[in-house]
Amino acid sequence: MTDALGRIWAIALNTFREAARIRVLYGLVVLVLGANLMAMVLGEMSVREEARVAQDIGVAATSLFGSLTAIFLGVFLLYTEIQRRTIHAIVSKPIERWEFVVGKYLGMAMVPTALVGMFALAMVVTLTWRGAPLTPAIAKALILAWFEVLTVAAIAIFFSSFSSPFLSGIFALAMWVIGRLTPDIEAATQTAAPAIKWTAKIALEIVPDLHLFAVSGSQVDGAQVTVHDAFVSWSYVGLASAHAAGWIAGLLAVACVLFRRRDFV
Amino acid sequence: MVADAAIEVRDLRKTYRTPFRRKRVEALRGVTFRVEVGHIFGFVGPNGAGKTTTIRTLMGLIRPSGGSARILGDDIPSRRARSRLGFLPESPYFYDYLTIGELLDFAGRLFNLPAPLRKKRAEELIERVGLGRARTQSLKKFSKGMLQRAGLAQALMNDPELVVLDEPMSGLDPIGRKEVRDLILELRERGKTVFFSTHILSDVEAVADQVAIVARGQLQAQGTPAELVGRVLRGVDVLVRLADDVATDELTAGASRVRRVGGELSLTLAADVDVDAWLARAHAAGAKVVSVSPRHDTLEDLFLRETAAADASVAATEERT
Repeated sequence: MTDALGRIWAIALNTFREAARIRVLYGLVVLVLGANLMAMVLGEMSVREEARVAQDIGVAATSLFGSLTAIFLGVFLLYTEIQRRTIHAIVSKPIERWEFVVGKYLGMAMVPTALVGMFALAMVVTLTWRGAPLTPAIAKALILAWFEVLTVAAIAIFFSSFSSPFLSGIFALAMWVIGRLTPDIEAATQTAAPAIKWTAKIALEIVPDLHLFAVSGSQVDGAQVTVHDAFVSWSYVGLASAHAAGWIAGLLAVACVLFRRRDFV
Repeated sequence: MVADAAIEVRDLRKTYRTPFRRKRVEALRGVTFRVEVGHIFGFVGPNGAGKTTTIRTLMGLIRPSGGSARILGDDIPSRRARSRLGFLPESPYFYDYLTIGELLDFAGRLFNLPAPLRKKRAEELIERVGLGRARTQSLKKFSKGMLQRAGLAQALMNDPELVVLDEPMSGLDPIGRKEVRDLILELRERGKTVFFSTHILSDVEAVADQVAIVARGQLQAQGTPAELVGRVLRGVDVLVRLADDVATDELTAGASRVRRVGGELSLTLAADVDVDAWLARAHAAGAKVVSVSPRHDTLEDLFLRETAAADASVAATEERT
């Protein structure tokens, strides 16, 4: 098992190096700064709501840009290994294909993780500058956003294991949007025709409920939660993280099975 | 466990379906061969013959549609066998942001080699393949020949028992090709088995102990180069020296490749000609024999004949169906 971990780590490290060289990602760093700048400007325009605006924009931007980065990397990094045939010199070595997929996922997940870290840091700096308190709610919101990003990365890798980047990107993006709108879709189809209602129900069953990770401003167990006031408990964060871990493990397991069956011509 | 054959392939088949029309394409139609331990095995065939498909199947990159194969005693795909072999893919492409040292370290990690051994092997191999001066450059700046050398180095990181090289001389200049040939011979001297594919026949003739010719997804011939090209006598080349005024009509009757330059006459007698009787006539005409040598098939003759036969056979089968 130690040997397998060593090989997975080698793939992960190399994938991180590869991803870190993609120049588009440096644009995201600019976006981190831009989002915080926007938070400051909008905060100035609001009346005594500077910290609230900074928190809302910070958490939303973490989720949005983190997820988009995860989709972008997930659909391209696995595909380019096959297209450029770099994979030929790897899977011909004593590495199992599942080790390759898991290593690829871990290496790729390091990039949006670093991005989430940068967003978090920028948010802390902004809030400290504004003199706003750093509450546990912010930490919980960022942890939830991070798990959302990790789940989205697994969705992208899953589609990339059998499909082209274009289709994988569309599928992953669609799953992210549907997953985010789970309660809205449920509510909208409550009064719809049975066929539509059941189709929506089935669709929501096979899509991870990503709304769990972005609950600020909505109802949880009948109570309104918000990152500015009463937010979810740590046990909720733990359960949501377990939910994410389950989906990640499931998606990667299926991706590994599909990848195992692929021919590299 | 000591395997009696380094590679053993039986009736290996691979059929693809084209993306949209779902047409069946038979890339391998029952390939069977055996590579003995410690030998250099040349796998020869024209482009599209099935060489790379065979190799990728053996390396676990492609799943066979039928048949079986064993590498170093293990059925494919086998992680254990892969830990004991080195592979150079055709036209290798590596992560272009790495240096040669980083590439070899990465390869070593996939073999779970400890860090000091990875460093030691990488240093040795960088020098061995002549990339010492390029050690600080990223692979992005490497020429095709340099990438080929880098590919050879990563294939040898685990000090493999079996080395599989897909078109190792491709992209190399004559000096580079000679160096690769020397490297292959050196590997055999160290007890390694080398299996390499190529369509450059002179490379095979120079180093291979065993040769297999593949065409249209089928094995056409297998044996030692001497066995393959020495099976059939195609004629006898004769060179004699004559006085300028001697008529040669009697001597050249029925011969081919006749050439007379000054006092020298060279020609090729048909395989069924009585050479002793011809030489006696030449002596009688005052000729002095300079050389007599049998003309066998060259590997190129055999290669062209076998590939043409395979083309004809497939065309006939396709016409029938």
